[in-house]
Amino acid sequence: MAKPTYTQGNSLSKDAWLRLSRNRAAMTSLGFLLLMVFACFILPLFPIIDNPNSTDLNNIAAPCSWEHPFGTDQLGRDLLARVLYGGRISLLVGLVATVVALIIGLVYGLISGYIGGRTDALMMRTVDVLFALPFIVLVIVFSLSIEEPSRNLTAAIVELTGWRRESVAPILGLVPLFIAIGALGWLTLARIVRTQTLEIKAQEYIMAAQSLGLGHLNILFRHIAPNLLGTVVVYTTLAVPGIMLTESTLSFIGLGVKAPNSSWGTLIKEGADRMEVSPELLIFPAAFFCLTLLALNFLGDGLRDAIDPRAAKD
Amino acid sequence: MIKLIFKRLAQGALVVFVLETITFFLVRMLPGNPFLGERKLPQHVMEQLNSLYGLDQSALSQYFNYWKNILTAGDFGPSLVREGLQVSDIISAAFPVSLWLGILGMSIAVVLGIPAGMLSAWWKNRWPDTLLMFAAMLSICMPAFVIGPMLGKTLGMHVPGLSVAGWDNPLCALLPALTLGLINAAYLARLTRGGMLEVLSQDFMRTARAKGAGATRQLFVHALRSGLLPAVSYLGPAFAALITGSFVVETCFQVPGMGLHFVNATTDRDYFLIQGLVLCYGVLIVAANLVVDLALVALNPRLRTQGAA
Repeated sequence: MAKPTYTQGNSLSKDAWLRLSRNRAAMTSLGFLLLMVFACFILPLFPIIDNPNSTDLNNIAAPCSWEHPFGTDQLGRDLLARVLYGGRISLLVGLVATVVALIIGLVYGLISGYIGGRTDALMMRTVDVLFALPFIVLVIVFSLSIEEPSRNLTAAIVELTGWRRESVAPILGLVPLFIAIGALGWLTLARIVRTQTLEIKAQEYIMAAQSLGLGHLNILFRHIAPNLLGTVVVYTTLAVPGIMLTESTLSFIGLGVKAPNSSWGTLIKEGADRMEVSPELLIFPAAFFCLTLLALNFLGDGLRDAIDPRAAKD
Repeated sequence: MIKLIFKRLAQGALVVFVLETITFFLVRMLPGNPFLGERKLPQHVMEQLNSLYGLDQSALSQYFNYWKNILTAGDFGPSLVREGLQVSDIISAAFPVSLWLGILGMSIAVVLGIPAGMLSAWWKNRWPDTLLMFAAMLSICMPAFVIGPMLGKTLGMHVPGLSVAGWDNPLCALLPALTLGLINAAYLARLTRGGMLEVLSQDFMRTARAKGAGATRQLFVHALRSGLLPAVSYLGPAFAALITGSFVVETCFQVPGMGLHFVNATTDRDYFLIQGLVLCYGVLIVAANLVVDLALVALNPRLRTQGAA
């Protein structure tokens, strides 16, 4: 007698992964992004990549060659190294600012949706008002105005820890950008989280949790927050390109990442200025930047289709 | 309807007020000051300049004076860096430039984006759709500061009459407007596609097809009106995007509009000019959103009863 066959049911996350892995555009994008992270963060640790600030005076504005795969700029700096180090800053700002926005948006949306009633109405009207503000104008003014406090912070940290100023300053120089972009970029996420929270709050298992006498914090973080995870992952992925775009826009007009750091935005700016003489100075950073944004968008769309099939537009 | 307009106007006034207040105090926190030129000014000259412009008072009393001057005399203050010029002079010279650029850019966006979205919805998941949507995604991922210089390089240098920088003849607006237009066209195309797809799948469209309506009649007579809703509601925020895009585009092409002035004013710490420009942006955005809301009500009769409630 043949044994009865059982089919193993798939968990939600495995289901989502299966759907995602069938999406060719999303998987290609995922591969590309992993490669990009490897190239920007790990490859420069090995000596095969030049120092982005060392000048090769025999090869000024050189075309592509074995020694300098992408050529060099007008000061003889290796363009490949500059693009990779620039990508490091761009990706870093994109990720950290997104995390800042994520934390604010998540907490705000959860509280607003969970408390409900008048508090909710007030909190959401506040978001409406903030939404109508011209975002980039505020980011510009805000990031400039917290520059001095963050310089003082750098000085304090250097004094406290005894680290070398040169090694701390570049990262801390980015702090105004992290905060400014993150502190103003959480609005969409707060709205989405609130809507989801309202929906989850109405489910029976929350009522069960309440009738068991669980505290509010317990319900919020053990029972509601984990169920938001899918939505949050999707909209975070979709938020990163927007935030990277903001950073590079600011850098392009000279108000974002400042020397000694350079990001893809500043490299594109430098390239655009010297486009007539050597177009590759614009083309390489622009291509890296655009392809990364493209990949993030495709991956975000793919994740949305995979995790939340209802939201997928056919 | 009237009630809706008043409600929106009140909300808009609040938005402008909050925006201006935040800006005012943030601007005062900026490191440096407007009088740091190439040469360091002696202490007493500095003090005199500060008291001339009222910058020696407390931030709070400066704030009240600022609103008092605007509301009683319509006075936005002088430019601190460009001597002898009033903020209102600078804005009234720069506004028509930005407006013309914006109108031109938006027209290009609408003319390209909406038909592209309609075509793509009609041929859903066939090659024109894939192609158009890929092009749209590409152009969303190519920010103004990449498209701008590239257009300048490919078109501006070779096509006679087009200029890559400056603002001395009407043709100068073409490349910056094209840059603005392409990006917004991409968003419009995606939204139009989404809106149209939703309409095309509805029962009344099947009825129209069953009764023998041709493609043109289906698209333009039956589907367009409600299919355009998402695109129309985007146009309000798009106006804001056009302004932010114009920071980059105006810097790129050296167009003397509000965006270029704003970027310069923030680096120069020209307090009154920053505040004046932000106020102007706020009013523009609120007005654009109001117009879009009214257009949505006109397009979608269901909103009329909700708006009155």
